Amino acid sequence: MSRPVFPTQEIGSLAKPRWQIMGQRGEPLDERAKDEFVRWNTELHFVGDGDPKRESFLSGHSAKVGAATVRDWGALFALRFFEEPGLDRVYDGEARRIEMYEYPIRQMRGFQFQGHVRSFDNKYYLKAAGTGEVRLESPYHVEEFDFVKAHAKAEPKLPVTGPYTLADWSYNEYYLGRQKGWKGRKERRNAQKEFVVEIARKAIRPTLAALIAKGCKVIQVDEPAAGTHPDEADLVAEGFNAATEGLDAEFSMHICFSDYRSLFPALLEAKRCRQWAWEFANRDTPDRDGYEILKMFKEYGDTRDIGLGVLDVHRDDVESPEVVADRIRRAAKILGDPSRIWVNPDCGLRTRSLSIAHQKLKNMVAGAKLARADQLGREAAA
Amino acid sequence: MIIRTSLTGPFPRSEALVGATRDFDRGRTNAEALEELYDRTEREVVQLEERLGLDPVTGGFLRWADLFRPFAETWAGFTVGPVTRWFETNTFYRQPILHAPPERTAGAIAARLPKPAFELGAKKAHVLLPGPYTFAGMLDNRSGETEEALVHRLGRLLAEEVKELRSLGYTTFQFQEPLLVVHPPKGAKAESVVAAYKSLAQALDHATSIVWTYFGDAAPAWPTLWRLPVSVLGFDLAETQLDSLPKSPERRGIGLGCIDPRTTLVEDPSEVVRIARAAVERFRPPLLWLGPGGPLDLLPWEPATRKLHLLPAARQLLAQSNGGGR
Repeated sequence: MSRPVFPTQEIGSLAKPRWQIMGQRGEPLDERAKDEFVRWNTELHFVGDGDPKRESFLSGHSAKVGAATVRDWGALFALRFFEEPGLDRVYDGEARRIEMYEYPIRQMRGFQFQGHVRSFDNKYYLKAAGTGEVRLESPYHVEEFDFVKAHAKAEPKLPVTGPYTLADWSYNEYYLGRQKGWKGRKERRNAQKEFVVEIARKAIRPTLAALIAKGCKVIQVDEPAAGTHPDEADLVAEGFNAATEGLDAEFSMHICFSDYRSLFPALLEAKRCRQWAWEFANRDTPDRDGYEILKMFKEYGDTRDIGLGVLDVHRDDVESPEVVADRIRRAAKILGDPSRIWVNPDCGLRTRSLSIAHQKLKNMVAGAKLARADQLGREAAA
Repeated sequence: MIIRTSLTGPFPRSEALVGATRDFDRGRTNAEALEELYDRTEREVVQLEERLGLDPVTGGFLRWADLFRPFAETWAGFTVGPVTRWFETNTFYRQPILHAPPERTAGAIAARLPKPAFELGAKKAHVLLPGPYTFAGMLDNRSGETEEALVHRLGRLLAEEVKELRSLGYTTFQFQEPLLVVHPPKGAKAESVVAAYKSLAQALDHATSIVWTYFGDAAPAWPTLWRLPVSVLGFDLAETQLDSLPKSPERRGIGLGCIDPRTTLVEDPSEVVRIARAAVERFRPPLLWLGPGGPLDLLPWEPATRKLHLLPAARQLLAQSNGGGR
C-alpha cells in the first residue's frame, strides 16, 4: 500500500472514561460522568443521537443498558478518539482489557495465580506461576478484533502482549522444576528459554494465527519486559520468532523505558519484526538527543521501519506540532531514510487525561504533516 | 559451628494488607484501621518466624516502602525522587535525591523499626539497613560529593544509627548490599567501601553484623567482600557458584542465600544441605547463616510463607550432621 511519508499510528491503551467504568459496573452515571459522555460524544459521535440506549444510559439506567453495550461504546469511543485527529493506524485503546498480563494468562492453562506482589508504594500486581505445561484455552482478542475491524475507518493495528513479557512477569515453576539439581544461573536461563518459547508456540502463535485468519494484518507485539534482563535479549527475539513462525502479517515490537543499547545486537534476531516501535520522547532534550540511539540501527545495518515515539506519555505538557516535526526531522536525518518512519506516542496514553491525550494526538498528526511538507519540499527541490 | 536462620529482607504484605493499603489510597479506609492491620500483620510475621525457629526475627519490615524511604524521608539533604526500577526485577523504588551532604535525624529510624520484633526483646530483633555502597549507588547524587566520599559519609552516618540502636539493645544488624555484587567496586571505590565498614565496625562493638548480597554473582566482588570487617558475608546461591569463591585461611561467618525469591518452586532441603556442607568444608565458618537469597517480597505472601519452611528443614538436617549445633 502506498502511503504518505511519516504516517501516524497509535501505540497502546487509553485511560478508560469515567462513564465507561461506572457504566460497566451498572452504576448510574454521576454528573461528571454524564458531562464527560456528552462532551466526547458531541465531538466524536460514537453513539448515535437516535440510539434509545443512549437516553437510558444518561437517565441513570446503566444496568439496563448492560455492560456489553457500554464496553462496545468504550471501544467505539477510543476508535473515534484516534481517528478524529487523523491517525492512519488505530485500535480500540484496549477498552475491553483490564491490563496486559492477567487477561492473556487467564486464557491459558498451566498457570496458577499466586497473589499480589508490590510494584512500589501501595501499588501491586497479581502474579501467576507457570505450574504446568503451557496450553491455550482458546485464542483471545478475536472478538475484540472483529468489532474493531467492523467499525474502524482507519487501518487497525492490534496489540498483543509478547511471550517474553508474559514469562518474565510470571514465576517459572514448571520448567525450572524440570532442570536437574540446584537451580543456579545456567538452569534458570535454560528454564526461562523453554518457558518463553512454550508460551510463544503454544499460546501466542495460535492466537495470532486465529487473528490473522479473521483479517488482522498489522500486529504489535508488546514486550515492555525486554529491558529488564539485558542478558536475555536473545530470548526476547527467540520468543518473537517462535510466536510468529510461518505467519503472514506486518509485525512490530513495542519496547519502552529501557536501556536500548543493552539489547543490541541480540534483539535484531527477531526475524519477522518489520518495525521497532520504541519510546524516545521521554528521553529527549532540546538538542534532540533522545533520538541518538537510532544510530545503533545504522551501526548494525538494520533497515527495518521505526515506530518513532514523539509524545512523552508521562508529561502533561502538550508537545507543539513544531517540536513533533523537529523530532521527526532529527530521526529522519539519523536514519537517512524518511520512508522508514512511522510516527506515534512513546507508549499508551492511559497515563494522561483524555483531554490532554487527545490534544497530544492532534499535535502529533499536525507535526507529522509539517515534517511531511518539509520532506516533500526537499524532494521536489532535489 | 553455630547455625542460624532468619529472613534476610522484607517479607511480603499479606493479601489483607494489600487490600487495606489500596483502600487507604482510595479513601475507603482510615489511617487507624490501616495501622491496626499493619500491627496485626507484623505480629503474624513474628509468629511465623518464631514458629519456624528463625532467630533473630524481623517483623517483616512491612511498612517500609523501600529500603531507602525511611532515610530519604527523615534525613536532611534528601527528597524522595521518581519511581525507578529495582535492579533486574519488575519492582520499583523511589530513588532518593541527595541535594546536599546528608545528615541523620536522631531517633527517626528507630521509630520505624517493626515494634513486634522489638517487643520480643531487642536482642532477638534483626535490624535490616541499607549498606553504604548500595545506598550511595542507588540514589541520585546531586550533593556535589564524589561517590567515594559519599560511601564513606553514609558509612559514618549509619554507624551513628547503629550506635543509637545498640543503646536500645539491638544486637544483630544486616546491611543490604546487592550493588556490591551487581557492580563490584574497584580501586578508590572499593577502598571507600572498606573504610565505611570500618566506621560501622567501631559502632557495632561486638554486635553481630551481616553483609548480605544478592541479584549478582559474589565471586568478582569477593576480594572486597572478604576485607569487610563484619561477622557474616552472605551471598545468593541462585547467582553464585560456591566453588568460584576463593578459599581463605581466615575463618569468617558465611551466609547462604538458599531460597530463590524469583520462583515459587520450593527448594529441595537436601540440595541446600549438600551446598551448605561444601561451604563448611571450604570456609570452615564459625557461624553459618541460612536465609533467602534475596528479598522475599518478590513473592506474594502465601508462596513466600511456603518457601520459608525450607529454613528449619535444612537447619535440622545440617544440625544432625553437625552434632546439634545451633
